[in-house]
Amino acid sequence: MASVDLALATISFKRKIAYKTTWLFSVLFGGWSLLAGLAVWSTLIGDGELGGYDWQAMKAYLIIGFLTSTLAWAGSDWEMANRILDGLVAIDLTKPVDFQRARAGEYIGGMVASLPAAALGTAAAVLAFRPAGPDSALAAVLTAVSVLFIFPLAFGINYLSVLNCFVTQRYLGIQWARDTMLAFFSGMMVPLALMPVWLQGVAWALPFVHFTTTPASIYLGRVDTAGALGLLAAQAAWSVGLWVVGRLIWSQLVKKVTVHGG
Amino acid sequence: MADPTRALTARHVGGVYGRSLLAQIRAITEYPADFWVMASAGVMWNVLQFAFLTVLFAAVPDVAGWRYHEMLMLSGLLTVAAGSTALLCDGIWSTGTYVLKGEIDYRITRPAPVVVQVATSHIGMQGFGETAFGLVMVVYGWIGAGLGLAAVPAGLLGVACAVVIECALITMLCAVTFWIKGNNSIFAFVMLDLQHNAMTLPLALFPAAVKIVTMFVLPVAFVNFVPVAVLTGHLGPWWLIGTPLAAVASVLAALGVYRLGLRSYDSSGH
Repeated sequence: MASVDLALATISFKRKIAYKTTWLFSVLFGGWSLLAGLAVWSTLIGDGELGGYDWQAMKAYLIIGFLTSTLAWAGSDWEMANRILDGLVAIDLTKPVDFQRARAGEYIGGMVASLPAAALGTAAAVLAFRPAGPDSALAAVLTAVSVLFIFPLAFGINYLSVLNCFVTQRYLGIQWARDTMLAFFSGMMVPLALMPVWLQGVAWALPFVHFTTTPASIYLGRVDTAGALGLLAAQAAWSVGLWVVGRLIWSQLVKKVTVHGG
Repeated sequence: MADPTRALTARHVGGVYGRSLLAQIRAITEYPADFWVMASAGVMWNVLQFAFLTVLFAAVPDVAGWRYHEMLMLSGLLTVAAGSTALLCDGIWSTGTYVLKGEIDYRITRPAPVVVQVATSHIGMQGFGETAFGLVMVVYGWIGAGLGLAAVPAGLLGVACAVVIECALITMLCAVTFWIKGNNSIFAFVMLDLQHNAMTLPLALFPAAVKIVTMFVLPVAFVNFVPVAVLTGHLGPWWLIGTPLAAVASVLAALGVYRLGLRSYDSSGH
């Protein structure tokens, strides 16, 4: 990583925590959806199981989903979007820094700012709800690697959604749509195992599935070691693929930039 | 006898609101691609919520006594309310940014309420898709749940109050950025998150504290849960009285908090 990437990430991190009260409340409120999910699934599963998940496994599944979604939704996507909507992107074009790479640095910096929320929330949830443990020590390690892939994957998906701002006037609706797709196809709203086969096929063909289903499947031993390594390879491939697609789309959309009507 | 000054003021405010919103609508017609992208984005949540409920009810017969079509109505009414806020007061989300940049300054000097000017500074085109598909979900759920035409007046009251409560609560929580500064209105986001996570499900699933908060502290339950529960017989009919009361209380609270926020506003750089 070049020093400029680190500098941009650091600035983004500091910007996130500059408004301390807002940041503190975002930490405190981050666990709400986890609590809602736990309340719902405890009622639905009871003493039985759904989709191969008993209550202990479902608790682990939801806590992993909380961890990954807290990280994924904490980047600087609004800052990226506002640069395009406000026209500041025109100034970025004059800078000797690659736009996508600079935004990646900022985005990752923003995600790092969410680490305390993610770590504290996850630790508190584990202590309070006592979920199932990892299937093995190797599964725990591979789960950690899978969670690390959330960083490039989250940037890739957010960057592609932000590029929509070249043809729209607002970002809020795009954000809701993307977050909903992520919540549904990642398996956060309802595990893929409960979906019909064709819908599972759709979900596995999209990158969102690697935000919850992949790390949770590895952690709970629903895939063997070879399967886990295959899922990690898929995460790596999506990380690269999203980066390349983002670059291709950028090269076309940037032609829409006009400065004072010129 | 009516006070002519108040009537004129109300007409003036209504006129400013209407003309500002009309200007936004005229502006968006200049960007058809923008409209279709955003309207499609608005439909996305509904489609996936539809899919979620369909998948869920393929595995379980009911959730805390609520059946598939009843829960469709629950999600649909929430979406109609949330989508309407995007159409009626989407600009209110920019309060935090305006406060940070000192852009409230010149709005204070103009002869119209600041909250109206800010609320109409944008229009969220995703609201068209959200509202339209939300209504489809409500009607589909309504028919599937076996509700007849006799319940339509109560349903219309529920929809009207849902829109008012949602707009008012989002305005109130966005006004928090006058004190807790930041570009993003984190409190309003949290409320929407709470609604999308919890208020699309029966309240019986949650602890008593959640029921108390969502009914009597931040009355989001009156947006969709209470009206649908009354219509489908999960709550007694007298609960419906609470819906317009919650709407009035929410509007008063929103205007009060926004006014207090403006009093504490000290422009940028101070």
